[in-house]
Amino acid sequence: MAENLLEVNNLKKYFPVKAGIFKRTVAHVKAVDDISFAVEEGETLGLVGESGCGKSTTGRTILRLLEATAGEVLFEGKNVMELDKKEMRAIRRDMQIIFQDPYASLNPRMTVADIVGEPLDIHNLAKNKKERNEKVKEILENVGLGAEYMNRYPHEFSGGQRQRIGVARALAVDPKLIIADEPVSALDVSVQAQVVNLLQDLQKEYGLTYLFIAHDLSVVKHISDRVAVMYLGKLVELTDKKELFRNPMHPYTQSLLSAIPEADPKKKKDRIILEGDVPSPVDPPSGCRFHPRCPKAFEPCPVKEPEFKEYGDGHFAACHLLDQ
Amino acid sequence: MSKEALVEVKNLKTYFYTEEGVVKAVDGVDYEIYPGETLGIVGESGCGKSVTSLSIMRLVESPPGRIEAGEINFKGTDLTKLSEKEMRKIRGNDISMIFQEPMTSLNPVYTVGDQIIEAITLHKGVKRKEARRQAIEMLQKVGIPLPEQRVDEYPHQLSGGMRQRVMIAMALSCDPQLLIADEPTTALDVTIQAQILELMNSLKESYGMAIMMITHDLGVIAEVSDRVAVMYAGKVVEYTDVDTLFDDPKHPYTWGLMNSIPKLDKDVDRLEAIPGSVPSPLNFPEGCKFNTRCPLAKGKCYDVEPPLEDTDGGHMVRCWRYEHLEEIKKRGERIYEDRGVQK
Repeated sequence: MAENLLEVNNLKKYFPVKAGIFKRTVAHVKAVDDISFAVEEGETLGLVGESGCGKSTTGRTILRLLEATAGEVLFEGKNVMELDKKEMRAIRRDMQIIFQDPYASLNPRMTVADIVGEPLDIHNLAKNKKERNEKVKEILENVGLGAEYMNRYPHEFSGGQRQRIGVARALAVDPKLIIADEPVSALDVSVQAQVVNLLQDLQKEYGLTYLFIAHDLSVVKHISDRVAVMYLGKLVELTDKKELFRNPMHPYTQSLLSAIPEADPKKKKDRIILEGDVPSPVDPPSGCRFHPRCPKAFEPCPVKEPEFKEYGDGHFAACHLLDQ
Repeated sequence: MSKEALVEVKNLKTYFYTEEGVVKAVDGVDYEIYPGETLGIVGESGCGKSVTSLSIMRLVESPPGRIEAGEINFKGTDLTKLSEKEMRKIRGNDISMIFQEPMTSLNPVYTVGDQIIEAITLHKGVKRKEARRQAIEMLQKVGIPLPEQRVDEYPHQLSGGMRQRVMIAMALSCDPQLLIADEPTTALDVTIQAQILELMNSLKESYGMAIMMITHDLGVIAEVSDRVAVMYAGKVVEYTDVDTLFDDPKHPYTWGLMNSIPKLDKDVDRLEAIPGSVPSPLNFPEGCKFNTRCPLAKGKCYDVEPPLEDTDGGHMVRCWRYEHLEEIKKRGERIYEDRGVQK
């Protein structure tokens, strides 16, 4: 078994809700509430869930773009949460992020050469301007953009090309881990496939490890080795992707899988249609957070929170039904 | 189909006159919608799928937009020739529309009840009290819990899925014959999307109305449509019934779309990605508009635009070389091979 490159232990991120003239904290949004998982070197872990489940917050907290409320994040065995500013900057060379919105995540006043070159400057990876330009050119070619684009500005590119620039920026410092936060969901269907293929090629080429955050289960299934499912700040299931799609254990995963409309008109699926909406993370339901919408909820569910534990060969889930 | 079409769109052209030039958003589109069926319109951003629906509703802002040519026959009346006053009687009454983002289509300063009641009193000419009763009934039909209470709430008090239900209630309150749904589930989570699609399917059956479903999601298309028009760069490139389309896509673009999305029940190592991106509508290529991305394009494709031709019993395709694609499909080969990382 490969080494764990990233280990997340009991991670929590609460956002205070302030109210009144003294801006007192009246409640907390429990965006990420005690989750643990590990990512092995060279693998792709998919993190899926619906909007507001805390998947993006998880990604950002791991990189310390947001400060965690509690818990630890071990990167190559080092606790990232305890590093000072200087050490943090150094470790960011190894952990990069790609954002969802290729329009908002690139500075419109910078040329492509500067966007991709900036991380090289920050980490002093180029001795002089010439070397920097050489490197930028090479990275751009690796993501399928020619050197002729170097002096252009982001607005001159299509959505798919911008996402390639975002990928190039992350790659510039030769990282080990890339957190991809919904990298294809803002793109047109035909262009999504280009970026997914690119990410897979780069993984092979550079031996990258991905934490791939998305709401689209079919894309996650395609790209991931293992998949973690999140619901309201908690992990509900985590396993090998084939196992997850063949044998989903948690009722939420089951209904999520059955809800995806499939591009095959002959397949009329037996839907498990969930009632109601995702509850607010400010005041999450007691016990199992999924119990108000769960078609299989029984006595212990509203009272006791199920433990996230292993049910055979790396298949983790949190559900009282499994202990029956 | 021998039934009479409810809507017949003929050679519709809607252009926008901008400072940079003429944007031919819809450039010669034909399709029919029959009573009680769902016509799916699928395409990527900028293909003109939303503009065709806005043209039917006559909601294209003018200037800069203008319906340049063509007919939109709704039960024998050409909607392009109606005055704004006559059109207002049809909008919301015979034809209703729901949009992608329900928050921007609901007025935030009125309760949802007020907004549905307004539509009912306006089109049905009933008293307010009766309209309120009908509004509550509609909210119940679209599956909103506690409708007597919800009717007096404001849009911000409802979740995204609930707001879309309110929009559907409003759209259906006057028994339209055609409901135009423009990406109605795109802003929603998949579990909520499943709820809304199921609701639309069941309402379609109980009301016997026709639906025009506009979406970029082939999964949604497969789920709800009877027939499908695939649009690319302002034109319909393939048009047939839903089973035929998914069984035997004949246009290279349709083929590419279907193979570029990962399937849940099939594992592939690499997706077939269509190279490049949609050309700018200010600068469409000569000949077939897909020729900049099409791996089969050759000779004639670069000079002459192909017509939308009936290839076999109503399966319409706009391609010079669809027979060539047939051969490739028979051999089980892929047509899109991207170069990937260049090294």
